Amino acid sequence: MGCGTALRASEGGMNTIIIDQSDMGQGASGVNAGTLSMQIKRVKLMPYAIKGHDMWQKMGQEVDFHKTGGYTLAFNDREADLLHDRMTMKKEAGANISFVSPAILQEKEPSLAQKIVAASYCPDDGYANSSLTGQYYRKRITQLGINYMENTKITQINETSTGYEILSGENRIQTKRILFACGGWLKEAVSLIGEDIPVNARVNTVSVTERAPRLMNSVIGHATGLLTMKQKNNGTVLIGGGWQGIGKPSEGRGKVVMDSLIPNLQLAKFAAPKLAKVRIVRSWTGFEANVPDFYPLAGKLGKRDNAFILGCVRGGYTIGPYISSLMGDYILGKEPEMPLFDPSRKFEQGKLI
Amino acid sequence: MSSENTDQIKRTEKISFTFDDQTVEAYDGETIAAALLRRGVIHLRNAPNSNTARGMFCGMGVCQECVVEVDGYKVEACRTKTSNGLIVKKVSYV
Amino acid sequence: MYDVIVIGAGPAGANAALTAEHYGLNVLLIDEGSDAGGQVWRVKSKSILSAPVTETSLKGDKLRQRVKSSEVDILFETRVWQIEQNEEHVWQLGLQGVCERSSVSGKALIIATGAQERVIPLNGWTLPGVYGLAGATALFKEHMILPGKNTVVAGSGPLVFFVASEIIRLGGTLSAVVTLNSRFEWLKAAAEMISKPGLLWQGVKWVFKLHIKGIPLHWQSALSSINGNEYVQDVDIIKTTKYGYLKRKLNVLVEADSVCLGHGLIPAIEATRLAGADHHYDETLGGWVPTIDQCGRTTVKYLYACGDNAGILGVQAAPYRGELSAIAAVEDLTGSTSETINHHNKALKSLGEEAAFGIAATALTIPKNGLIENIGKNVEVCRCEGITREEIEIELIKGSVSPNSIKSGTRCGMGPCGGRFCSESLAMITESITNQSREEIGLPTARPPLRPVSMDEISDELDYDELPIPGVSPL
Repeated sequence: MGCGTALRASEGGMNTIIIDQSDMGQGASGVNAGTLSMQIKRVKLMPYAIKGHDMWQKMGQEVDFHKTGGYTLAFNDREADLLHDRMTMKKEAGANISFVSPAILQEKEPSLAQKIVAASYCPDDGYANSSLTGQYYRKRITQLGINYMENTKITQINETSTGYEILSGENRIQTKRILFACGGWLKEAVSLIGEDIPVNARVNTVSVTERAPRLMNSVIGHATGLLTMKQKNNGTVLIGGGWQGIGKPSEGRGKVVMDSLIPNLQLAKFAAPKLAKVRIVRSWTGFEANVPDFYPLAGKLGKRDNAFILGCVRGGYTIGPYISSLMGDYILGKEPEMPLFDPSRKFEQGKLI
Repeated sequence: MSSENTDQIKRTEKISFTFDDQTVEAYDGETIAAALLRRGVIHLRNAPNSNTARGMFCGMGVCQECVVEVDGYKVEACRTKTSNGLIVKKVSYV
Repeated sequence: MYDVIVIGAGPAGANAALTAEHYGLNVLLIDEGSDAGGQVWRVKSKSILSAPVTETSLKGDKLRQRVKSSEVDILFETRVWQIEQNEEHVWQLGLQGVCERSSVSGKALIIATGAQERVIPLNGWTLPGVYGLAGATALFKEHMILPGKNTVVAGSGPLVFFVASEIIRLGGTLSAVVTLNSRFEWLKAAAEMISKPGLLWQGVKWVFKLHIKGIPLHWQSALSSINGNEYVQDVDIIKTTKYGYLKRKLNVLVEADSVCLGHGLIPAIEATRLAGADHHYDETLGGWVPTIDQCGRTTVKYLYACGDNAGILGVQAAPYRGELSAIAAVEDLTGSTSETINHHNKALKSLGEEAAFGIAATALTIPKNGLIENIGKNVEVCRCEGITREEIEIELIKGSVSPNSIKSGTRCGMGPCGGRFCSESLAMITESITNQSREEIGLPTARPPLRPVSMDEISDELDYDELPIPGVSPL
C-alpha cells in the first residue's frame, strides 16, 4: 500500500521516496494466501473491495491474477444459517453472490467433501500470486523513477520546521510529508514520532502443498471464514483461513504453531478429502495489522497535517491497491473518490460472531 | 548393478514388487531406489516444469528427486522399503 | 516429558544421548534412519544379512550396541517436522514416520542433524545416474551397491577419494577421478592433518590404489558438462586455474554411465534455524552455522547444537561435541558437579585434537570463485522448479537482492526440497553478481515442515464438532 500510494503521489507530481525495513512487498501483501474473494469481504468495505478487485484484474498476468469463481461452504445447519445471513448482506452491498445447491457444487467441484449442506458462489472471486506483489511494484516504481531504499530500518525521525528528518544509519532524508504504511509494524513505526495507535498484529498462517492432481477449480472458502483454499495452475494448493501463529512484528517474523496449523489443515482435509495424501511443503505466517473495530486506518496521523497513516485490517490484499490510490489523492490534496477511514476515530469493539 | 563383490555379501531372500506394471525383484527390506538401481531402472520420474528425466540424487531423503507414488502417497524411493507385492508408480503431476 | 530430546543419532547425537543418560536424565533419541550411525557410520540395510566388516562398519556397530543397551528411549524411522518452544521454554516437536506419537515434548533439545552436501550445478547434473558424493556413500554403506557400471567421480575434498576407493573395493569400474584440488593444496592440507597420521595414511592409500589400477586421475580439474538425454553417456573434463576457472582448450571426453559429484559438506542448519537460534557465516566451518559456545549452547535457552550441523569438523570430532553439549544440558538442567566439570574438560581437550583435522579437510572444499562462473546460463540451479541461472540473474538485475525476494520472484527454492539444494548456489550467484558478502545476503526465512509431510501424517481425522473455532471473521 505504501508503493501504491507512492505511485499515485508521484504521478501527481510529488517527489517521493519509499523506505522499507526489508524487501519491497514482503510484508502482509507478499506472504498472504492471495485470495481475491468478495465473499470474505466485510459488508461496509464491499465498494472498496470491488474497485480493488478491478485493479488486480488489470495487473493481470504480472501478478498471476486468475478469476476462477469461488464457493463458500457450510458443513452443518448452523453454518448454513450463518452463510445465508452473511452472504445475503454482502449481496445487498453489491457483491455478485448467489446460493448454489450441494448437487450443483458436486458437479462443478467433484473432489470436495460430500458433507456440504449449503454453498454460495461468486463468479468474480479468484486469486493472485502474492509472492509477485513486490516484483510488480518494484517494476512500476522503477519505471516511474521513484527512489526506493530496501533493507533500510528507520532508527529515528526528527520533526523539523518544514517536516521531518528520517534517519537510518548514515542516511538522513528530509521530507515535507511522511506516510506510515507498514502494516503489522505500524504501532512501532508511529511511536518514532511519539504517536500511539491501537494497532496490534494478527499472525496469519498459510500453507502450501507440493503439486497435486487437480482437486479444485475455484477458490474455496468456509462459512466461518476459517478456511481459504485454491489450487494454482502449477498444481500446488494454498491453504489459509487466518489461523493464528505466534510472534510480534518487533521480534522479527512470526512463527507457525501446531495448535493452530493442525486444525487449519484438518479443516482443509475435511473440505477436500483427497488432500489427505498430499504433502505440505511449507507453512509460514504473515503479520496483518488489526484494530478493535476491524476497519482500515487511512488518513491523518493524530492532529498532524503532514503525517499520514495507511493500514488495512481484514481484506487488505484485495482492497490495498484501491485504498492506496485514495490515500495518494488525499496526500496530493485532492478529494478522494470514496471516504477514507479516520485513524483518530473512536474505536468500538468489533465482534467476532 | 551386477558387478559388486556378491560372493562375500549375504542378502535376504528375494521378493518382488511392481514399478509402473514392471515386475522388479528385490531383496526383502531394501529400499525401492536401491532395488530399481540394481535392475538398471534409474529414471524414476520427469520433472514437472522442464519434463526432464530424474532419478535418485542425494540418496538421503533431502532432494526429493526420487519421489515415487505408493498407495497415492508421494514417498522418497531412497528411504521407502520394498515389500512383496508393493505397487509403486511414477508420480503424476496432472 | 523428557529431560533431553536429541534429534539425529549420528556419532554426535548418539553420544549426546548416551552422555545425558549417564548423568541420570530421561532421554529420547530421534532419527530418520533405521538405527543409529548417521551418514558416516550408516547402518546397513536390513536386506544385508552379512558382509565384510570395515573400520567404519565396526565403529557404527559399536555405537549401535551402546545405544541399544542403554536406557535411552529411541524413535527410529521418525522425522521431526516442526520444532516449537513454549513460554515456559518447553520444547514441542511434531513427528512423522513410523512412530505412533504425533508430538513429543522435552526440557532441553540437542540438535545433531549433521551435514548435507554442497553440489554446485553444472550442465547435465539433473540426469538420472548423477549422485552426490555423500549420496554415493549411502549406496555403498547401506546397500553395498554401485552407482553404475562405469563411473566418474568428481568434485573437491576427501570424499572424492573415499568414493573412488569404495567403488574399487566393491568391484566397480572407474572411468576417471576428477578433483578440483591441486596436489599442492593436498600437500598443504596434509601438513595440517599430520596430527592424525592414521587418517592421513588412509588418504594416501586411496590415491595409491587409483594409481595401481591405472585410473586416470585429473588434478585441479572439473567437469564442464555431463552429457546425455535420459541417461549419462559421457562427461567433459577440463583443467582449471587454481581459482577453479575452466581452461577452455584442454577438454577430455570420457564415457561413463554414472557420475558421483560433490563440492564439500555444509552444516544442516534447518532445525536450529527453525528452533530460532542465531546463525552466522564462517566458511572455514562449511558456511552458515549456529552461533554456539564451546559446549554447543546456542543463543536460545535449552537449545544445543553438536556435530557437523554446528560446523563441519568431521566424524572424529563429533562424539566429543555430542558429549559436550549433553554435559551443558545436564549442567543447565541440574547444575554442575565435579564429575561434569572433569568430563567437560576432558572432552574439550579431545575435541581440540580432532578439530584441526576436520578444519583442514573442510578447507579443501571452500568453493573456488571459478566454480560459480562455470554454471552455464541454461543450467537448472533449482532442480525442483527448473529455475536456471539466467532466470536468477534477471531477477537480480530487476532489483531483488535477498534470498526471500529472489525466491518470491522466481520460485527458486519453493519446490518440495524447500531450497535445501539450491540456496547455497543461489547465494553464491548473488554474491558474485552483487558483491555482497554471504553474511549480508543472509538466508531465506526458516519455515516448517523440515521435510515434506503428508496431511494424513500430521492431522488426524477431524471430529467436526470438536474443531476449535476461534471466532468467526467479522461481518
